[in-house]
Amino acid sequence: MADGTLIEAQGLTVRRRSHVLLDEISFSLEARQVVALLGPNGAGKSTLLKTLAGLLPFSGELRLDGREASRLDRAERARLLAYVPQHSALDAALPARDVVAHGRFAHRDAWGRPGRGDDAAIDHAMELTDTRRLADRSFCRLSYGERRLVLLARALATEARVLLLDEPTAALDVAHALGLLHRLRDLASRGSLVIVALHQLNEAAQTSDRALLLAGGQLVAAGSAAEVISAEPVRRVYGVEIVPAAQFGYRRPAEKATAP
Amino acid sequence: MKIALTYLVLLVVLVGAVALALLVGHGSLADPTLRSTLLGLRATRVGAALLAGAALATGGAVVQGVFRDPLVSPSILGTTAGASLGGQLAMLALISHTPLFGPALSAEMVLPLGCLLGAGLSLVIVLGFCRERTGSLTLILTGFILSSLFLALSSFITSLAQDSWDMSRAVVSFTLGGVGGVSTRQLLAALPFVGIGIAACWLWSDTLDLLLSGEDEASSLGVEVGRARRWAVTWVAVLAAAAIAVGGNVGFVGLIVPHTLRPLVGVRHRRLIPACALLGGAFLVACDIIARVFPSRSELPLGVITGIIGAPVFLILLARSQREVSHG
Repeated sequence: MADGTLIEAQGLTVRRRSHVLLDEISFSLEARQVVALLGPNGAGKSTLLKTLAGLLPFSGELRLDGREASRLDRAERARLLAYVPQHSALDAALPARDVVAHGRFAHRDAWGRPGRGDDAAIDHAMELTDTRRLADRSFCRLSYGERRLVLLARALATEARVLLLDEPTAALDVAHALGLLHRLRDLASRGSLVIVALHQLNEAAQTSDRALLLAGGQLVAAGSAAEVISAEPVRRVYGVEIVPAAQFGYRRPAEKATAP
Repeated sequence: MKIALTYLVLLVVLVGAVALALLVGHGSLADPTLRSTLLGLRATRVGAALLAGAALATGGAVVQGVFRDPLVSPSILGTTAGASLGGQLAMLALISHTPLFGPALSAEMVLPLGCLLGAGLSLVIVLGFCRERTGSLTLILTGFILSSLFLALSSFITSLAQDSWDMSRAVVSFTLGGVGGVSTRQLLAALPFVGIGIAACWLWSDTLDLLLSGEDEASSLGVEVGRARRWAVTWVAVLAAAAIAVGGNVGFVGLIVPHTLRPLVGVRHRRLIPACALLGGAFLVACDIIARVFPSRSELPLGVITGIIGAPVFLILLARSQREVSHG
């Protein structure tokens, strides 16, 4: 395993009854990267993220930070990988700060007492996601976009080195989506490995260093984002042509515009 | 500040209910020859109502958290009916001198153990049938079917018990619910079950909070979900068993009390559980006062009063949740 490799999968296979959801997938991913998981609906993106998060049984070999995944207990895994699902099941009237504080659960001692660095980690996560203003508001009364940010803050509060995000920009407006992707890049530059399932290829091209392209549970292409999000793989998997220029694009202030 | 004030009010309500329960009832405290006997009898039933109410309300808060459904409670899920059936079987075994539990157990311990087995069995069946994504309706229907099954078996036991007048009276009185005939030894036998059950649930508060996010998210945050659910179910069974052992089949306490308190203390179990213990105890003591002072030839069963209050509350909550679903 190369120095800095956080995830290494060999022949990763996930089955549900007779269906093969992931078929013999192999890849390795290093820190300081944003990795886009791409593919049409049903390709296996969410399944792969859930498998990495330890939520689905699998066969094959999976090493996390150099250790066999099956040898990590729940808390160890939660301190290494943070997972943000596409649709959270949480709909309780908990203050947003309490939701973010759930990210510190795996840092508790044997007696269940909170860790010393909990408050600082929670504050930092809320600062990064611009959710401090929501701290006292009830989670169930937040808008969809605000909930996504609070759940991202919860994931950041874990201080895990690997972030697994399932379509984080879905249903976000342009400004929030760009802001969130900008934060993901920032997190990668600070040393994290960010694995993000995306539907929008332009978002993936702008944000990611590497990309894994899935189709029908198989890994069709893996490599740099520029290689994977190119004419031939995209045509093969999605059946569409990439249009290199468009009439307009989006950018955050002080950034160069990039056509979608 | 609001939370502290709420706890203070709950404490005042509890003390007020206990004081009133000691003062009112048949017989005059002015008679010095009867005073200590009356106070002793009333204190025992007040203690039983406190324990049963605290246990059922806490159990309600915990199952609502575990199933992520505000419409469930030990009585809705069939847990109290299961505990009641277990209690009846234990009582039957005890009265008919069947050596089911062995000579090592005292009579006071046999009833709670029977209730514990019944409550545990019903919760295991519910957990087996209803996984995480089970909707409210399935949960409620499963609970209803279990309750119906347990009630049918209870009726069967009651009909068997009619051979003996003593046995049938004891079984019917236990089934209807009430704290009138509780002895001090029974109370002392149930006390550790309730105390340890509430303390254990409180210690699992943070885990219960995380389960509000569903199994996948809780698991990804470091919760051993299977273990957490098993422990939660165990403690709910312990609480329901202790409550039924001293209060008989009393329903709806676990539904009404947590619902009343969530707007006041929030959904965090660390705050909700102690508040439920306080208000649950006060609520059942108040119901017992009504049972005692209601003008009727004999004392009203406690389960009848909680049922009359609880059933409409449940229907209102059900209608509200259906409205929320239909309005998205």
